[in-house]
Amino acid sequence: MEHFFQQLTNGLAVGGIYALIALGYTMVYGVMKLINFAHGDLFTYGAYLGMTLLTSFFLQDRLGVVAGMLILAVMVMGLVALIGAVLERAVYRPLRESHRLSAVVSALGASIFLQNALMLIYGARVHVYPEDLLPQATVNVLGLEVPLMRIVVVLASVVMMALLYLFVQKTKIGTAIRAAAIDQGAARLMGIDVNRVILLVFLIGPALGGAAGLLVGLYYGQVSFTMGWLYGMKAFTAAILGGIGNIPGAMVGGLLLGVIEALGAAYLSLAWKDALSFLVLIFILIVRPTGLLGERVADKV
Amino acid sequence: MKRAVGLALALCLLSIGSARAADTIKIGLLAPMTGSWASEGQEMKKNVELLASELNAKGGLLGKQVEVIVGDDGGDPRTASLAAQRLSTQGVVAVIGTYGSAVTEATQNIFDEASIIQVANGSTSVRLTEKGLKYFFRTCPRDDEQGRVAAATLEKMKAAKVALLHDNSAYSKGLADEIRGILKTKKINVVFFDALTPKEQDYSTILTQLKAAGPDVVFFTGYYPEAGLLLKQKKRMGWNVPFLGGDAINNPDLVKIAGKDAAEGFQFLSPPVPKDLDTPEAKAYLTSYTKKYNETPGSIYGVLAGDGFRVVAKAIAETKSTDADKLREYLTTRLKDFPGLTGKISFNAKGDRLGELYRVYNVEKTGDFVLRK
Amino acid sequence: MSRGLLVSYAVLTLVLAGAPLVLDAYWVDVLNSVGLYALLALSLNIILGDAGLFNMGHAAFYAVGAYTTAILNTRLGLPTLWALPVSGLVAALFAALVARPVIHLRGDYLLIVTIGLGEIVRIALVNDVFGLTGGANGLFGIARPTLFGLKIRRPHEFFYLIWVFVALTVFLFHRLEQSRFGRALNYLREDPVAAEGSGVNTARYKLLAFALGAAWAGMAGNLYAAKMTIISPESFSFWESVLLFLIVILGGSGSIPGVILGAFLVVGLPELFRGFASARMLVFGLVMMVLMVFRTQGLLPLRTVRFKKSDLQRAQARP
Repeated sequence: MEHFFQQLTNGLAVGGIYALIALGYTMVYGVMKLINFAHGDLFTYGAYLGMTLLTSFFLQDRLGVVAGMLILAVMVMGLVALIGAVLERAVYRPLRESHRLSAVVSALGASIFLQNALMLIYGARVHVYPEDLLPQATVNVLGLEVPLMRIVVVLASVVMMALLYLFVQKTKIGTAIRAAAIDQGAARLMGIDVNRVILLVFLIGPALGGAAGLLVGLYYGQVSFTMGWLYGMKAFTAAILGGIGNIPGAMVGGLLLGVIEALGAAYLSLAWKDALSFLVLIFILIVRPTGLLGERVADKV
Repeated sequence: MKRAVGLALALCLLSIGSARAADTIKIGLLAPMTGSWASEGQEMKKNVELLASELNAKGGLLGKQVEVIVGDDGGDPRTASLAAQRLSTQGVVAVIGTYGSAVTEATQNIFDEASIIQVANGSTSVRLTEKGLKYFFRTCPRDDEQGRVAAATLEKMKAAKVALLHDNSAYSKGLADEIRGILKTKKINVVFFDALTPKEQDYSTILTQLKAAGPDVVFFTGYYPEAGLLLKQKKRMGWNVPFLGGDAINNPDLVKIAGKDAAEGFQFLSPPVPKDLDTPEAKAYLTSYTKKYNETPGSIYGVLAGDGFRVVAKAIAETKSTDADKLREYLTTRLKDFPGLTGKISFNAKGDRLGELYRVYNVEKTGDFVLRK
Repeated sequence: MSRGLLVSYAVLTLVLAGAPLVLDAYWVDVLNSVGLYALLALSLNIILGDAGLFNMGHAAFYAVGAYTTAILNTRLGLPTLWALPVSGLVAALFAALVARPVIHLRGDYLLIVTIGLGEIVRIALVNDVFGLTGGANGLFGIARPTLFGLKIRRPHEFFYLIWVFVALTVFLFHRLEQSRFGRALNYLREDPVAAEGSGVNTARYKLLAFALGAAWAGMAGNLYAAKMTIISPESFSFWESVLLFLIVILGGSGSIPGVILGAFLVVGLPELFRGFASARMLVFGLVMMVLMVFRTQGLLPLRTVRFKKSDLQRAQARP
């Protein structure tokens, strides 16, 4: 039984990261109906930028770990959001009225471009964060030693999810986002500046991806220029699993995917792990064709 | 449609433009310059280009300058076969490379049919030299030899229960199979045999499974990025089991990824790196490499590519010829104990490198890789 | 088919037929690669372009075909070219089987499911499923095809084998476009609800599109196996599916000449950029974005048939 719980926490920790990346995916999808394949690469940029800022400013030494990390996170999120906004303006906006697949291909192009640009800037080698910035403490949860950072990762994604959800549901701008998600034309008629809403979404989504990248860099310590592809795919799967465009769905999908992977690897087969999670996804979609919680950004306002 | 025609014409023109007169000796380097193994490919290029420029400074070969032509195999068989085809039409005398076994395999026939000497540097799969290809050589050892050394090392450690972890790549699975086969005859129990998914970052699921199997030693046959993460996360779990690794782990980045604490005591097999060889060639090479690139060679496979270049250059200089048959004849019969950057080099008739090459390295507290005597 | 298109095909055929005479083995092999990808992309075009089903796992069918050929040839000694129809059939059956339960999924959900199917197939191959696929090593020693007593081995010889097959495919698919089946698929893509309403059995036609596309991909797999003589799972990665997807959309979804041009572009372009070495994929990504922004419909978009007022009058004039 302890083995089971150990694997469950392993799964939740990974799932928390999937969820965090999936939030950004879902956010963009909800409004744009665009699968932003470059999202995984924005995540990688978050990880690399975090590393560069960390090794050039030494915030943790000047301000202490907690404050330093928070400021670092803000800086990384800002920079990645900027890249996201540029991407939206240059590549996605001209395609907004055209066929969905053109935008998908454009997003794939952006992904290839961003990934290879990173390789040319930093080189192809694996890069490493400065050693052990984060506390290595463990917390005893129901008789199980769980590293503190794992709890932080899961909590961070839950908090971000909650904030995002409240923002979208309760604020005026959130209402505009939801309106644009349902019908951009009608939203425009209601006096909503749809361009600004979309820009905002393209600031928030990539910022979340960047934050996830930073967290992964800090926790695992190792970053590579190709890492975004795998994480991006997993997050996309998670978003679909929960119901794409649905903010709590991304959360549920991410955590569930992490748990399925861990338990599948533990009790069925390590080598077939990824095939297994796709099988579960396919099965769920057969039973519930729009994911577990359904598509829901387009709620009635 | 007009555009398609235009493009086809452009292709024609380009190919005509690419045929130039031969006033240099061209040596091809087939390496993964893009894709997942780009870092290895770039190391290979650094090594070979350094050696070529040194050779040219000394007057080149047969009175001509040596030109290195790099072909990007992208780390995948299809791109590789095209790159090989391209190299074979560019008038290269020999080709160094490439890294992955499956990728090399996709190019072997092309070079063989074009009568071009190929010296692979990282392809350790046994069957590459079992096909009776005339012009194929490799400076790296084979998986079966590594399997033997690995089993002997495990025996020496008096391990009764061994866990074998691979990453499902041709190389890694092949090595794990070799080791399992040998261990069966030695009455060492393999209590775990499975694969991780490369390029992930969280291996705690696998480590939890491994721990539950209760091995005395874990042997991981994959690559250094995963090995580094495994060591780091094993340490975080507070699990103290000895870890062993294969030759794809010999990369200084391992310690950076794992951290010195977690990497300490880790052992892996590898051909000796230049700094551990007493030969003047190795020492001189280390000096000039450090001078040019401001770092020591990162990957053993880059150095093995360098050795490939050196044996080819030696063969051309000795036979005073660029004829593939003469070079082959020289390499298989007359090249004996050539002082390479990774030890003495001789080839057998199959094109395999002779001699026991593998050594056991230990990661010290300082993070240095130290050869175990 | 318009006259302009016919003339273009004729010119292209002439240029290609003569190409091996002036090109060296490398560029002929690049054209071989273009031909193979043109075949694969044409087969995907039936699913993605004609029927409008987002399939990003096409490499799975390609893999099934290639592995069928490899297994039949290396284990049972079936000549490689004889395995061609069998590979197509097996791939079609496989597609019909796996697509059956997911065919009703819409847009992006189908996209992720097909990505999943592609990955499941690849993982199965890596894990040596049924002990037949040779695991990560793949299968090797596939015999070269023999045609009329001639053993096909050099790029120049493969060139004609591949491109004759492409020409045949183009001819057949143009015929198909105008058939009842082709028109039904187009209705399906434009408006599934209206199609259903006009008596098109959508599920059946979608499945047929999948099976037909897969059959052609399977046969392309046969040619690939014959050409490489060794196949391994990494040749059928997710990236291959993405590449095929790109060819179809960049060239012009639903348009046969567009897809062919797309194959020239997507396969040929990185080869032209070889000089850039490490930066070539960067340029490739950039070109993709720029192309999509400036030609959203692809390079040679499908021209839908438009009726002029005179057509209408003529139709009304008829008794």
